Amino acid sequence: MRIKYFATFRELTRENSYQLDDHLPDVASLLEVLSDRYGTAFRDAVFDQGAMSPVMILLVNGRNVRLTGGLATPLAAQDEVSVFPMVAGG
Amino acid sequence: MNGWIGTTLRVDLGSGTIKREATNMTVAHEYIGARGMGVKIISDEVDPKADALGPDNKLVFAPGPFTGTFAPSGGRYNVITKSPLNGTIAASNSGGVFGPELKFAGYDALIVEGQSATPVYLWIKNDKVEIRDASAVWGMTVADTTEALRADTDHEAKVACIGPPGENLSLISAIMNEMHRAAGRTGVGAVMGSKKLKAIAVVGTGAVRVAEPAAFKAAVMDSCEKIAANPVGGAGLKAYGTNVLVNILNQTGGLPTRNFQEAVFEDADMIGGETLAANQLVRPKGCFSCIISCGRVTKVTNPLYAGIGEGPEYESAWGFGADSGINNLDAILKANFLCNDYGLDTISMGATIACAMELYELGYLTQEDTDGLELVWGNAHAMVELVRKTCVGEGFGKRLAEGSYRLADSVGHPELSMTVKKQEMPAYDPRAIQGIGLNYATSNRGGCHVRGYTIAHEVLGQGPPTDPGAVEGKAGLDVAFQDLTAALDSSGACVFVTFGIGAAELANMLSTLTGFPYSPEEFVKAGARVWNLERLWNLSNGFTTADDTLPKRLLTEPIPSGPAKGQVSRLAEMLPEYYSVRGWDENGVPTPAKLAELSL
Repeated sequence: MRIKYFATFRELTRENSYQLDDHLPDVASLLEVLSDRYGTAFRDAVFDQGAMSPVMILLVNGRNVRLTGGLATPLAAQDEVSVFPMVAGG
Repeated sequence: MNGWIGTTLRVDLGSGTIKREATNMTVAHEYIGARGMGVKIISDEVDPKADALGPDNKLVFAPGPFTGTFAPSGGRYNVITKSPLNGTIAASNSGGVFGPELKFAGYDALIVEGQSATPVYLWIKNDKVEIRDASAVWGMTVADTTEALRADTDHEAKVACIGPPGENLSLISAIMNEMHRAAGRTGVGAVMGSKKLKAIAVVGTGAVRVAEPAAFKAAVMDSCEKIAANPVGGAGLKAYGTNVLVNILNQTGGLPTRNFQEAVFEDADMIGGETLAANQLVRPKGCFSCIISCGRVTKVTNPLYAGIGEGPEYESAWGFGADSGINNLDAILKANFLCNDYGLDTISMGATIACAMELYELGYLTQEDTDGLELVWGNAHAMVELVRKTCVGEGFGKRLAEGSYRLADSVGHPELSMTVKKQEMPAYDPRAIQGIGLNYATSNRGGCHVRGYTIAHEVLGQGPPTDPGAVEGKAGLDVAFQDLTAALDSSGACVFVTFGIGAAELANMLSTLTGFPYSPEEFVKAGARVWNLERLWNLSNGFTTADDTLPKRLLTEPIPSGPAKGQVSRLAEMLPEYYSVRGWDENGVPTPAKLAELSL
């Protein structure tokens, strides 16, 4: 599984992407694993009292997980996960 | 008078007359100001069939009630006119400090009419207004004009002007103020050029009166706190600028690439806001009374494209980047600097080059047409050279200056122009994001994202979760965005404040500023009034429901790869519902009941 970071998540993780070969069943377990890797600041950025942070946008294969079950969104080995803070422009 | 000044300035360049008129306060209350007031003036005074580049077209510069106050990001003004690009009633919006200065000089609006026989500029210092000879600056760039006119008038003057493309009536030319801010879209620069009006220099020493100072201050502070608390308005835009959108649109599969042939750009990260922040960003910059600071002061040291200036915005980086398959951010910045210094719309310029590249790749244009340039996808050098040629009106650049529709039509392939109502669409693929496609199709000024920025809900996670690929509910979403934005544009605030506040906060600030009570519903209704009046004017000029459409490619050619693979725009499913939500008949004409409801 490929995890790609953007904007402030690059500052938090100090990397642009990360290859994870472990099988993880869903987004919640992925964010737990990543929080262990990157520490408290990352955990605080992706979780909000156990729920998914409302100011993070997480895409699995380009689809916002808020439309697919949030933390319960299932994951597969070849998925591409994109992690953004809330961004905007126009 | 509070919020509004109460005076409108009218200058006839044909006769040389200058008049001060009382602002029509009924119009001010119903249309708020800026875009709304300008649309009402053009609607009342300009025949929809008038030649956009003739003496009967008028050019309105209008700040809004918030402009010049400390309302957050309350520094906008609009330029309203008949568009020479597409014949719509056009309102082009800009920030900086020119709008506030016009207000401080004592005007709710400046109406320019007629045509001068020789180049002129307007020098406005409060109630002293002069039409001055501009032959010495005719032909100059934006920066040179600005400096020269400041030297001629006042070093504190705020200058809005055109560059050579506007003088040469380029249909994609902009009006620039403070050198780097643009009323960019719909070819408003050409209307200024047709009037031989090179520039407006303004100094104002007045102020904007406030009806309820304590209540207005409290309302402003409440709005500022909400914007600051929003991760986008408070920090995101300042850190990365609007160009942070490149990656999220690409990851969503909605970044138009190679003239909308594809919707994923393999090198997106090389042109995005993160890369800009790491390499070319000097500092962020805000407009008047801005607490967001999305502007970018940028510098390129690469000798091929060296320069210092501002930008690019997301749309510009896309237009000179992904849309032409270009991954060289230094070249993109150089193209952006050129457009700013000469006064060109970066969206239309970039998209016209993308169209030219596709025409070349398909053999409809050859090196004989392109002055020897090889317009293959990704050729950054050729892209910058095409921008330069368009800026100075040289060779193939003269054809590009007409925009992509006329270019593609001239070789028998108008379907390869990615335009709506002949104006180039911005950087969101309507096949991947259905609501923005409906907005493009129904926008009263042609292809435009900021008429109804549904991207906020469909991609950026603002508001309730909204599936970008779905069509259900998009008609209502578009109408809500379009009406709120029309009201906001009319108020003088920047659209980015909506990343933090909505109609309730805007209405509260407007009421306490002006003393005229706006409920949130009345505020949005004023936006609906503006939208419907624009629609009526366009209908009078011959636009029909057939013009509420998208390029054939987007309706019939599925996205070839990426997250939105296989999708086309399902506009036909959304448009009837849109008309219904609007209170229009099946031909897209506002019903008598709707007109009565809006007092039209």
